[in-house]
Amino acid sequence: MIIKCPYCGPRDVIEFTYQGDATRQRPDPASSDQAAWNAYVYERANPMGAHREFWLHSGGCRQHLIVTRDMATHVISSVGLARDAVAAGKGGDRP
Amino acid sequence: MAEPQSPLGHTFVPGDHGNSAGGIGLVLTERSDVSIVQVTAWRGTIPAILTAIGDVTGLNVPDKPGAGRSAGEKSAFGFAPGRYFVVSPSADLEDRLRKAIPLETGTIVDLTHGRSAIRVKGPWSEWVLSKLFAIDFSEHGFPVGFGRATLHHDIHANIQRIDAETFDLYVFRTFARSFWQTLGHAAAEVGYRVE
Amino acid sequence: MTASRLPKGGRIDRARTVRFTFDGKAYSGHPGDTLASALLANGVTLFGRSFKYHRPRGVFAAGSDEPNALVTVLNGDVREPNVRATELEIHDGLVTESQNRFPSLEHDVMAINQLAGPILSAGFYYKTFMGPAIGPLRSTKVWMFFEKFIRRAAGLGRAGIAADPDHYERMNAFCDVLVVGTGPAGLLAAEAAAETGAQVIIAEERPVAGGALLASAELIDGRNAAVWAREKAAALAGRANVRFLTRTSVWGYYDGNVLTAIEHVSDFKPNRTKGQPRQRHWVIRTGKTILATGAFERPIVFPGNDCPGVMLADAVRRYAVEYGVAAGTNVTLFTNNDSAYEAARAMAQAGVNIVAIVDVRADVSGACIEIASAAGAELVLGHAVTGTHAGKTLSSITVQHFNAQTGHVSGAAREIKTDCLGVSGGWSPAIHLASQAGGKPEWDEDLQAFLPPEANQNWVTAGSAAGYMDTVSVFSDGATKGTSSKTKPKLPAVDAPMFDASPAPVFEIEPAAKSQKAFVDFQHDVTADDIRLAYREGFHSVEHLKRYTTLGMATDQGKTSNIPGLAIMADVRGITIPEAGTTRFRPPFTPVSFGAIAGERYGDLRPHRLTPMHDWHLANSARTYEAGLWHRPMIYGSHGETVEQAYVREARAVRQSVGIVDVSTLGKIDIQGPDAGEFLDRVYTNMFSTLPVGKARYGLMLREDGIVYDDGTTWRLSETQFLMTTTTANAGNVMQHLEFYLDCVWPDLRVHLTSVTDVWAGTAVSGPKARAVLEACVTGTGVDNATLPFMGIVHGFIGDVPVMICRLSFSGELAYEVYCGAGYGTQVWEALLEAGKPFDIMPYGLEALGTLRIEKGHVTGAEIDGRTTAHDLHLDWMLSKKKPYIGSGMKDRAGLNDENRLSLVGLISLDNQSINGGSHIVSDAAPREPADSFGHVTAACYSPALGKYIALALVKHGTSMIGNRAYATDLLRGKHGAVEIVSHHMFDPEGSRMHG
Ligand SMILES: [Zn+2]
Repeated sequence: MIIKCPYCGPRDVIEFTYQGDATRQRPDPASSDQAAWNAYVYERANPMGAHREFWLHSGGCRQHLIVTRDMATHVISSVGLARDAVAAGKGGDRP
Repeated sequence: MAEPQSPLGHTFVPGDHGNSAGGIGLVLTERSDVSIVQVTAWRGTIPAILTAIGDVTGLNVPDKPGAGRSAGEKSAFGFAPGRYFVVSPSADLEDRLRKAIPLETGTIVDLTHGRSAIRVKGPWSEWVLSKLFAIDFSEHGFPVGFGRATLHHDIHANIQRIDAETFDLYVFRTFARSFWQTLGHAAAEVGYRVE
Repeated sequence: MTASRLPKGGRIDRARTVRFTFDGKAYSGHPGDTLASALLANGVTLFGRSFKYHRPRGVFAAGSDEPNALVTVLNGDVREPNVRATELEIHDGLVTESQNRFPSLEHDVMAINQLAGPILSAGFYYKTFMGPAIGPLRSTKVWMFFEKFIRRAAGLGRAGIAADPDHYERMNAFCDVLVVGTGPAGLLAAEAAAETGAQVIIAEERPVAGGALLASAELIDGRNAAVWAREKAAALAGRANVRFLTRTSVWGYYDGNVLTAIEHVSDFKPNRTKGQPRQRHWVIRTGKTILATGAFERPIVFPGNDCPGVMLADAVRRYAVEYGVAAGTNVTLFTNNDSAYEAARAMAQAGVNIVAIVDVRADVSGACIEIASAAGAELVLGHAVTGTHAGKTLSSITVQHFNAQTGHVSGAAREIKTDCLGVSGGWSPAIHLASQAGGKPEWDEDLQAFLPPEANQNWVTAGSAAGYMDTVSVFSDGATKGTSSKTKPKLPAVDAPMFDASPAPVFEIEPAAKSQKAFVDFQHDVTADDIRLAYREGFHSVEHLKRYTTLGMATDQGKTSNIPGLAIMADVRGITIPEAGTTRFRPPFTPVSFGAIAGERYGDLRPHRLTPMHDWHLANSARTYEAGLWHRPMIYGSHGETVEQAYVREARAVRQSVGIVDVSTLGKIDIQGPDAGEFLDRVYTNMFSTLPVGKARYGLMLREDGIVYDDGTTWRLSETQFLMTTTTANAGNVMQHLEFYLDCVWPDLRVHLTSVTDVWAGTAVSGPKARAVLEACVTGTGVDNATLPFMGIVHGFIGDVPVMICRLSFSGELAYEVYCGAGYGTQVWEALLEAGKPFDIMPYGLEALGTLRIEKGHVTGAEIDGRTTAHDLHLDWMLSKKKPYIGSGMKDRAGLNDENRLSLVGLISLDNQSINGGSHIVSDAAPREPADSFGHVTAACYSPALGKYIALALVKHGTSMIGNRAYATDLLRGKHGAVEIVSHHMFDPEGSRMHG
């Protein structure tokens, strides 16, 4: 599998570390809402089809990426820097 | 001042190695005399950082992923968003960069002791490095002056292309000896000289 | 079968002789020969014994599809089993032996298995050894009893014990176009692609390019086809934008157009060039892939079809044309399609004597009739082979009338004397790589074969791999698929008779009365009756059929058996072949050695991480062990000392005077930026923004789920710069953890992270005399209690080396960590030793370090095991109530505060015996199995400070158990001893020593 890092260009998957579901929402840090924390830490949708994931380019530029990948075909439709997406309010479950 | 010790130790053996009877395909050297400083820009301060690097080193690094420059023993290149290696034989490199780059512009980390600089030069450099790293070393995929961050198994490396057949590798010091041996094995086929 | 070398022909170099051995006997051949062609030329027809029944088997094919002729290559004690004789190039000194025979190939006592045929049928293992567990003969025990016998009787080659002395390597390649195969389609496609200026890699699994052209009787542009191919290939290889790889088999197709290939670099050479690997594992990332992989001829299944002398028609042709070898003196052909006639034409031209062509079809074209008559072969139409006669090798076949529409066999049997039968059951496109890439193959009624699936990545199939079976259309398809540009290479002129590529849909000849087995999968000894039996026993789907019968699961992945097997299955089920479906091909296309996949890491699997003082440690009798990738001193041994004696001596020195230990392996992260303090407040459970500059603090991190993640000290170097230390084992993970939060959770924080683990050499100086040692060698700063209080940081020099010193203690003694640039690590280490001489300073290793921390009850990875909470480890005092932090949201969950949780305690051995790490804590005074465990030992040692064997343990109701007696039990290692549960602070609980 090849992931096209926005900075480094296409690289083998061995250079990357999977960092989990990018659609979950972290509750307010001070929140004691156990259901919300539980959802954030444990609940995963595992959809068949397109899915947003965090990948760290650990063997390259060490940036976290948001990768949209089809869980059935492995086809990657988009890759962006997570910092940019999250800073622009497009992290979490906001498309 | 005391001389810093090379991490290569007894594995650094000057002379010809491998299939050198068939010619010398590569020359490997350790550049132990350079300072290696990492400079990182904040979001939006990349132009200011590049200007500062230019002022200190005279190298004009374009604002493009992986872009870099080298001149003589000095070089600078990007390998992550806003993050650059600046390399120079001058011992005061860190101080000069620190003066040129206030915290508002970015941060500075002196990695001189943390990285080993290895130069790989010769007609077989692309071939031998391709054995170890899964990146495209051809000149159109990796132009002169540009930098790359990649890895060989667990060994992270920053690589800059100096010219058509020369690459500078910066590997983590504690892995340097292991990497040097692996590099030697990979180069044995084409014959290599350690200088 | 009497095979022999023809007087002329072939691309072998007849001027030179190559000597090799097979089963201890010396033979000779010529450069260009494979082991199979050279042995055939020497009249050898028996190559091995079959997998289950030990039947004699000869060579069947001429390439990577070979199911029978597997041999072991010997290189001294090193064995490489299951090498296909049809691909193995001979060289001087090559030593080979046949497989699966005992005691010899000629006299194999296991051939008795043939008599047990009905017992060893499909599902034998399942039925015999996985039956219900009744009585004393539990099926697994039956298996264990018979296993030795069965493993010897059934199997392929035997793996060796001697280590492989060769070396391997990996090669990473990038290209615009990868062309797999260099037959007529591959050559034209590669030329078309190269013309566009694209970077092209061409991979050919054989030593020479040409594919089907190598054994063709056709003229291309008026020249011999093989010569034409050789010239075309040379022209391509000469282009600057082309890399032409021969002896390179592309075996895997992965996501993102990544393909893997194995190049035989030197294993075909008698003398290898220094430094050259045996094989090179290519990983090729390509823009576009052109799969010009050709097609495999498939056999027709009939009774007695496995005796030596029965081969694929194309193989007979290739031995004749490519190697100048007649596979028999009187060759017959048996076919359901026209390609056998083209083969006959080529064989006849090469000088092979063809006595008859048996064709299941009642009518054939004029071109076919002409070829048969020109070759002097009797044409036996509307007939099929229904049996063979053979001793060790084929002597005659029986043929009977056959109706190709109904499959009905009738009439009297006629015997034809022949010592070699070439069989053609049609051709199957080699869709293996396309199938790996994904998608379902499509059945083609005309070709009676599966065509490649629709492309789901950027790849195309070309030539016969795409279903084009005549050279003219193969050329044209290759040129078309090679480029989308309008300018295509000029198509070569082909002088060849036109044939019909469609075979009659005949896969098996099944006479009413059979006395011989009809094999489908030669390598796994699966017969047509096994497939029918599997069906009767309820295995209907092709996936079940495959697993139950093991059809197609041998090293050849069923290259010759797949379609016949499916056809027979479809037939018993009364459905069509596409309805029966096919299984997906998986990598590797051909067997690949593990060494090649390990590549340059073979023999040295992991890199070695060395601290700056590594050479000093080795020179001073350190015994090291591997901790992750690090090599660390365990003890500094002196002769005659046990490990325990050594670490006790070292730990005692620290408590009594002073010792030094290399702590360069600790993870170190540079944290800089205006928001660095705020960032640390969020990731640590305790407060860091309030830490004064020049001070360090012990910090604790949790995971989001409230479990402890890591601990370490973090030093404030300036308002906006911190140096974080982590545990050695967790350094990489903590870095990723921090990066994740900065990138994905708090991108608004202005903080930069850099791993500086390798920048600093770290030496801990510990013991009552530690300060005196520093006073003796540090300049530029005071190290007295006022200047350098507990958790204080100062900057100074040792010699002329700048150092940073932090006063902190893991050992519980007065202790300092001295950091300097890694390049000066050894100098500073030696300077400290020199300064410590008056105090008998002693270097200590990890064992002593562990002992000191166990005595103090300090936790490490053994206790921070991914299950423990701060409360479990008595670290609740570090949980800030003033701010949220990672893990604060979930740390109060009921399960994490359950009173039955395990918590940290100390143990003291009451029987003066050592306690094993991992022992369970039980209440039974006598060993018992199973016992109710209520805890376990995390770390144990002999404590010189206490004069006792002690341990740390996680125990249920830990704190309230203090003062109780329990037992540490480790029945695996035969240990069971009484312990007293005590506080984890076993030594100097007030901490007076480190504050001194
Ligand atoms: Zn990257």
